[in-house]
Amino acid sequence: MKYTIVSDKVGTVGAEFVPGAGTNIEALLLHGFIKSDEVPSDSPAPKSAKNKAQRKKD
Amino acid sequence: MPTSTYLSNPGVQVNSISLTDQCTSATVTNTAEALESTAFGGTSRVYVAGLFNQEITMDLYMSYAASETYATLAALVGTTTTVKVSNTVAGLTAPSPTEPCFTLTGCYLEALPVINATMGELSTISITFKGGVLTTAVA
Repeated sequence: MKYTIVSDKVGTVGAEFVPGAGTNIEALLLHGFIKSDEVPSDSPAPKSAKNKAQRKKD
Repeated sequence: MPTSTYLSNPGVQVNSISLTDQCTSATVTNTAEALESTAFGGTSRVYVAGLFNQEITMDLYMSYAASETYATLAALVGTTTTVKVSNTVAGLTAPSPTEPCFTLTGCYLEALPVINATMGELSTISITFKGGVLTTAVA
């Protein structure tokens, strides 16, 4: 997964961020210092399994 | 020459984020815990090295602005991260024998004072990163 620098506190804005050993990526993403370049999947979310239709009560 | 004077030179980086412009003090301590090995027949205490126990303490101005002190540290409480300190900002990225970069990898932030308010004063906090592995880069 690739990351891009958003804050100049981390480095050059727009440059790729390569995390070093021990870097807490979640903290950087949470406060917007970097962003993930992961593209969300276009495939629809899996549907939940249907339950058996309940019998109609008379 | 017996002294080093720090004016505006040192650089501090926490979790890859530069906090140099918020930091007023940083201390990196390399400790090898002393285990006493004094035995009968000895007349003086004797110690051997135990586990290494590293620590970085720093004083920072508190800022709640985007990309500043609070945003950098809030999500790190209770987690491990990497902290770098050098006697120059350049030493953080290009260390040399006169600009060593001390890196504490996997250090733990136990506590963060989230507010320290005093009338008429700039808010400051003191934090300590514990544990981890200390490496010194000189090239």
